Amino acid sequence: MTKLSLRNISKRFGDTRVIDDFSAEVDSGEFLVLLGASGSGKSTLLRIIAGLTDASSGDVIFDNLRVNRQSPRERDVAFVFQSYALYPHLTVRDNIAFPLALDKFKGWHHIPGISMVARRVFGAGKDISERVAKVSAMLDLDEYAARKPGGLSGGQRQRVALARALIRNPSMFLLDEPLSNLDAKLRAELRGEIVRLHRLTGKTFIYVTHDQVEAMTMATQIVILHNGEVQQHATPQEIYAKPANTYVARFIGSPPMNLMNATVEDGFPTLGNLRLPAPDGIRLQGGTVTAGLRPEHLTVSADTGGRGLPGTVRRIEDLGADTLIGVQPDPALNLNMWELNQDELIWIRQEGQTRLFAGDACTIELEAQFASYFNSRTGMNLASSEQTSGAGVLPLRG
Amino acid sequence: MSTIEAQHTEPQEAPRRRRLKAPGSRNFSKPVRYLMLAALVVFSGFPLYWMLNTALSQDSELYGQAQGWWPHWERLADLGDVIGTVPIFKWLTNSMVIAGGTTLLSLVFAVLAGYALSRFKFYGKGAAGFLLFATQMLPEALLVVPIYALFASLGLLNGMGGLILANVAFTMPVSVWIIKGAIDSIPFEIEEAAAVDGCPRVTILSLVLTPLILPSVAAAAVINFFDGWNEFLLAKTFIAERDLWPASVGLASFIGQYLTSLNSVMAAALLFTLPALVFFLLVQRRIVSGLTAGSVKG
Repeated sequence: MTKLSLRNISKRFGDTRVIDDFSAEVDSGEFLVLLGASGSGKSTLLRIIAGLTDASSGDVIFDNLRVNRQSPRERDVAFVFQSYALYPHLTVRDNIAFPLALDKFKGWHHIPGISMVARRVFGAGKDISERVAKVSAMLDLDEYAARKPGGLSGGQRQRVALARALIRNPSMFLLDEPLSNLDAKLRAELRGEIVRLHRLTGKTFIYVTHDQVEAMTMATQIVILHNGEVQQHATPQEIYAKPANTYVARFIGSPPMNLMNATVEDGFPTLGNLRLPAPDGIRLQGGTVTAGLRPEHLTVSADTGGRGLPGTVRRIEDLGADTLIGVQPDPALNLNMWELNQDELIWIRQEGQTRLFAGDACTIELEAQFASYFNSRTGMNLASSEQTSGAGVLPLRG
Repeated sequence: MSTIEAQHTEPQEAPRRRRLKAPGSRNFSKPVRYLMLAALVVFSGFPLYWMLNTALSQDSELYGQAQGWWPHWERLADLGDVIGTVPIFKWLTNSMVIAGGTTLLSLVFAVLAGYALSRFKFYGKGAAGFLLFATQMLPEALLVVPIYALFASLGLLNGMGGLILANVAFTMPVSVWIIKGAIDSIPFEIEEAAAVDGCPRVTILSLVLTPLILPSVAAAAVINFFDGWNEFLLAKTFIAERDLWPASVGLASFIGQYLTSLNSVMAAALLFTLPALVFFLLVQRRIVSGLTAGSVKG
């Protein structure tokens, strides 16, 4: 049971800043997902926690103990690599037994030549064999025990890598995009497996991924990184419902949150003729504000006279259980769609099928109580940001 | 013939078989391939055959009339007498010690140096890699005298230890680069995984990396062994005592100023090739690649 604290971690490679002043507390038993696009510094952060990379500055603290100078082994972490990193010359059984055999090494066992014999002798020992058998059974690897990694499929290899991590009973599991080399079906299967292992062991898991589905389904806590900076650290539900800024709003969700430029009239954000309720506890004064709505909080109807945003249906994507409808809003509304979303369409998720066709005129209706509001200059969520000023938006604590 | 081949292979498991076949096999039919191989065998095997033929001939036949095509097998038993006058087995043993020592020492250094050149960043790394080839850039004959002077002052002359050292200096650089290349191709994650599993660097090298680069180590071993086995110039210069000669120097001693007994030379040369052949047969099975396949996603 280890509590992890990261204090002001920064990492530079030459002039490039990969991680900028990262701090976080991770309680024992959490499943923390570091989520970000490639190049966001998430893998580097994980490697710093593991001790595979040194931070340029800042402290890594395990249970009040500063471990900056300690090797991965001394930190007692297990690491699962994206590329599996199995030992190709050893059988599955020997791969899994490897860390346990190494645990038994004394100083002189490391002498080349002796180490090879020692690994074999320890690896074949009764206690290690029993533990290997137990872990193999847990991950359905029994029948492959005598094979080498070259004879396994991707999913099986990753299960061997998990088994090798699991057998050591480490203080913490660090997983670096372990599923990204697998196909969709296997990924879903192993996702369940990892969640099960997390429940079973009760250990801290830190999991790096760029896949928001993995993050949303597995995590108890998500940290969203962008260019080495934390965008939001919260539970999956909170991140989905209350994104801290427009980056998070656009990063999470598929299709992501629709952002629209609203003008503030009489303290209320307004889209065209449509007046939205003012956000709780915040008073707006003139100017503009960015309103965000998830696709499932919008509905679309062919009734052009309805109360809502007029537009034209452009795209229809039938996913079976539900349908995504892309509507181009009336340009007169001046919603700034392209600047805010890099997309001209407002996406709407509707259950079942739609009777609309591309080219139809339509009206988008909003469930405005679910709307999030962002400062249109800084992109910060008005409900969460402490100090927001400028551009005529003056949020006041109510 | 080729149409029969095509009919034969195409129907079942066509893609799999095609992948497993050697690239050349699609172009030639079987008899043609065997014919080409036979030509190659004759071409490379004939000198060996002629060596045997000469060894079993008598001086009178060699110098008097045209040498016959068929060896005199009945003289096989007399072969021992031909070379019995010189300590050929002593020389072969010396050669074995020198070649074996050169190989072992060179490989140990090469694995360590290759690892450092492949994985570490250090000041002067490029220069170090380049300087390794300094011995290769200069002709050996040029270096013999300075090394002789050096060894004379160090008391390393007239001994196999000194000769091994000098040989290693000449053979190691090539091995270093072979092994560096092999280590370069091993994914770094495997080392990191081993570090997480509790290996210090020396154990990573001995337990994880060395087994993976074994094919390259074997290739380097062959090169080193034959370099050490065939080496003549340094051995001839450094070792004066007849009992310490390696076989290469011993063989040369057959060549007299006025008289060269060709059949004795060839008989000794035959013996000289055999251990090297055995070594190669032992090691060549190890020279197979593809051992790393499957460790990481390719």
